Amino acid sequence: MILSAAEQSRYQRHLALAEVGPAGQQRLKSARVLIVGAGGLGSPAAMYLAAAGVGTLGIVDCDRVELSNLHRQLLFATADVGRPKTDAACERLAHLNPEIALEAHALELRTANAREVLENYDVILDGTDRLATRYLVNDACVILAKPLVSAAIHRFEGQVMTYVPGRSACYRCLYPEAREGIVANCAEAGVLGVLPGVLGAIQATEAVKLVTGLGEPLAGRLLTYDALEMTFREFPVERRRDCAVCGERPSITVLADQDERCATSLERVRRLAAAELRETLCRGTPAAVVLVDVREPQEFAIGRLEGSINIPIGDLPQRLADIPRGATPIFLCRSGRRSLAACELAMGGGIEAPAHLEGGLLAWAREIDSTFALD
Amino acid sequence: MTQTPACTVRIASPLRSYTGGAAKVAADGATLSEVLADLDRQFPGIRFRMIDEQDAIRPHIRLYVDAREVKSLSEAVGACETVHVICALSGG
Repeated sequence: MILSAAEQSRYQRHLALAEVGPAGQQRLKSARVLIVGAGGLGSPAAMYLAAAGVGTLGIVDCDRVELSNLHRQLLFATADVGRPKTDAACERLAHLNPEIALEAHALELRTANAREVLENYDVILDGTDRLATRYLVNDACVILAKPLVSAAIHRFEGQVMTYVPGRSACYRCLYPEAREGIVANCAEAGVLGVLPGVLGAIQATEAVKLVTGLGEPLAGRLLTYDALEMTFREFPVERRRDCAVCGERPSITVLADQDERCATSLERVRRLAAAELRETLCRGTPAAVVLVDVREPQEFAIGRLEGSINIPIGDLPQRLADIPRGATPIFLCRSGRRSLAACELAMGGGIEAPAHLEGGLLAWAREIDSTFALD
Repeated sequence: MTQTPACTVRIASPLRSYTGGAAKVAADGATLSEVLADLDRQFPGIRFRMIDEQDAIRPHIRLYVDAREVKSLSEAVGACETVHVICALSGG
């Protein structure tokens, strides 16, 4: 693939690197890279890869831009609030580099579409904020033999690792299983705005290396970053022979969303809208219902529903006995993720029909009590 | 009786609500099992976030002693060594 005069000028500093040169730049131009999640990680990754001249850049995201995104998601401007992220992202990236092709996938990645979306790309970057999607992307990459650069953030810390098919550990080797709610997301725990900039730039670096064949990928090594200490650490990650997807006898050979895997059991969960919860509480049957707030103690201290008890989600399995037998627990958390996970844990512990507040206390504050304090 | 010298334990960000926000704490013990028991004495409930009822490391947690991945709680821990508790993160 020949570089035009304009491209030779645009990529001159790359061409000046003997390790990249015209051959490397042509490889970048021929490459197709997919970024799953146009969030804090996807923003810097997309901008660097567009600027670097990756010929085709795909962006997967089904959300719209929110004002609270802007402290870290540099793809978007204030005027973009309310727009689909893929639209705003592609417009911004096209301004940055009109030489490249952009492919918007304004959809939620699911079992049914993951193969179709991923199979047309050479390298995948995962920057989602949903654990089930992380596993889905990982499983798809293993099954389709696509290299994957996976990163995640929490408050002041981040992690990144690269999966090279047939050679290194995958995300399931790193963490065989993790459930929504057990690990807080950015909305619940907060995040330093610049943090994903560091991790997203590392993901872009890995993608450039994978495409050009330069250097050593971050394969079989988990890189952790602590912004407060300003330290990077590296930990070896071996392939697991019993890995469910890349191991010797994989049990995952077709794609399935982790949430869909447990959907059957979750059908027994009663999902209460905020108005329904208010009605339930107004009926005043305290012996039949117990409100269990599964947020962390510091979140509970800021604001709580009257009469609720606090059992942090991580403590729930060993504290199920604190829930009076015969009472129906209604689990509460900030957004409804942890409370749904709590229902699953409760069912696993023998509580037959738990309930949870759908949309969490955010919905309660929005729809019932605007004075309710949340962090 | 000789007291076991303390090692350093680095706490994963999502578990710091147990340590009052501290990223790094000291704990006593010659094995990982002892270190985690001491950690739980200081910060009740934190061990259960890492280790299940069958004494297995939870699948979203990884434990390292310096750069060695630990798969058994009987792993020896030296006084100058650091136990790293690493947890799956979901933010993007």
